[in-house]
Amino acid sequence: MADILKTFGLDWPKFLAQVIIVLVVYFILAKYAFGPVLAMLEVRRRRIAEGEANLETIKAEMGKAEEKVRGMLDKANADAERLIAEARDSAEAVRNQKTQEAIKEAQSILEKARDASRLEHEATMNELKRDFGRLVIDATSKVTGKVLDEKDQKRINEEAVGQVAL
Amino acid sequence: MLSLDILPILAAGGIGAPTLPDLGWFTNSIFVAVVVTVSILLFTRMATKRMELIPGAKQNLVEYLIEFLYGQVEGIVGKHVAPKAFPLLATLFIFILCSNWFGLLPGVGTMGFGEGPTKHFLTLDTSVVDSHGHATYTPLLRPATADLNMTLALAAVFMLVWLYLSVKELGVWGTIVHIFGPKGGLQGALKYALMPIFIFVGIIEVVSIIFRPMSLSLRLLGNIFAGETLLHTMGELGKPIGFPGWVAWLSSVVFPLPFYFMEILVGALQATVFSLLCAVYIKLATTHEEGEHH
Repeated sequence: MADILKTFGLDWPKFLAQVIIVLVVYFILAKYAFGPVLAMLEVRRRRIAEGEANLETIKAEMGKAEEKVRGMLDKANADAERLIAEARDSAEAVRNQKTQEAIKEAQSILEKARDASRLEHEATMNELKRDFGRLVIDATSKVTGKVLDEKDQKRINEEAVGQVAL
Repeated sequence: MLSLDILPILAAGGIGAPTLPDLGWFTNSIFVAVVVTVSILLFTRMATKRMELIPGAKQNLVEYLIEFLYGQVEGIVGKHVAPKAFPLLATLFIFILCSNWFGLLPGVGTMGFGEGPTKHFLTLDTSVVDSHGHATYTPLLRPATADLNMTLALAAVFMLVWLYLSVKELGVWGTIVHIFGPKGGLQGALKYALMPIFIFVGIIEVVSIIFRPMSLSLRLLGNIFAGETLLHTMGELGKPIGFPGWVAWLSSVVFPLPFYFMEILVGALQATVFSLLCAVYIKLATTHEEGEHH
């Protein structure tokens, strides 16, 4: 066996030197290459897993937020519609009330105008009657050439006014 | 020109090479092993000195290689043993691959020292003989894995770590039971009846374990040494055929060329085979069989 190994070049000092070289490579690679690289791969793997988990959480939260927003929008729409309906009803009521008030106001104004007109008409008529009576007395006085007393004036005035149908 | 004083430092190693007395342990193959070691360590150190989450080119390459190798190792030895077995298996693969391919660099094995009647000191003629007809050529550099000392050292380191992992995983008694104990979950009388057979199988297993370092180292040595020899033979084929000078020179370029590509493949294949077998041996030794208690 020893001869065979010698034939193949085996020499214990050389063998030991090679063992030391292999051990040096082994320990240094294990410490400075495989260790840090595997740790880095693990960190990256964990980060990716965390990223995926975060993505799922974000998706779920986004779904919830969308649901919430949809609910809020629905509620806001319902509120808006209710408010619009209320405003419409309120506006209708106010419009009706204002219309009624305006009608009443207009009627009142018309009534007042009518009264005022009537009073004015009556006053004018009275004025006219007085003027007419005075004209008739003046005319009578000039035609007859006599001075009419108080009693005649009253009588002529009443007759003239009585004959005028205004 | 190199000084003759460094000759002992670059003393020959490997098959058929003369052993020089002073600093005889520092051979050309050990020198190459040191160069390969320093190259690997420098590169990995440069790649892993400032590790970042977004890797650069070197870090990316090293990470890719390590991740790929880890996946392969984990697939063979399992998730539990992989973290413990991976550093050794990856070291073996990377070191053997680099050593094998280093041997294909121009000048490795083909440039060396030869003292003869007409040739002195540095020469590319590997057939240099002295006045007595003895070969005196000593290559300056030889692939580390073409030296039995290196391949046996690789196998020996593996066997040490293998033994450590086996005992750590199964315990001393568990390892003995694993080798000599009944397999297949046998119970009752049949188990005791078959015990002699299992013990005999265990002895065969121990013999095979003892021969593993030799089989591992000789397989690697044989392939790489044969590849080196093949390339040398092809390179010098022009002379025995009788080609004239320039045709012989041309043939020394053309003939080895296809075999260079083959040797690139063989280098990768042998690194894979060595590491793969080591992984399988670890797997076989650390597998918990049903019914075993540890």
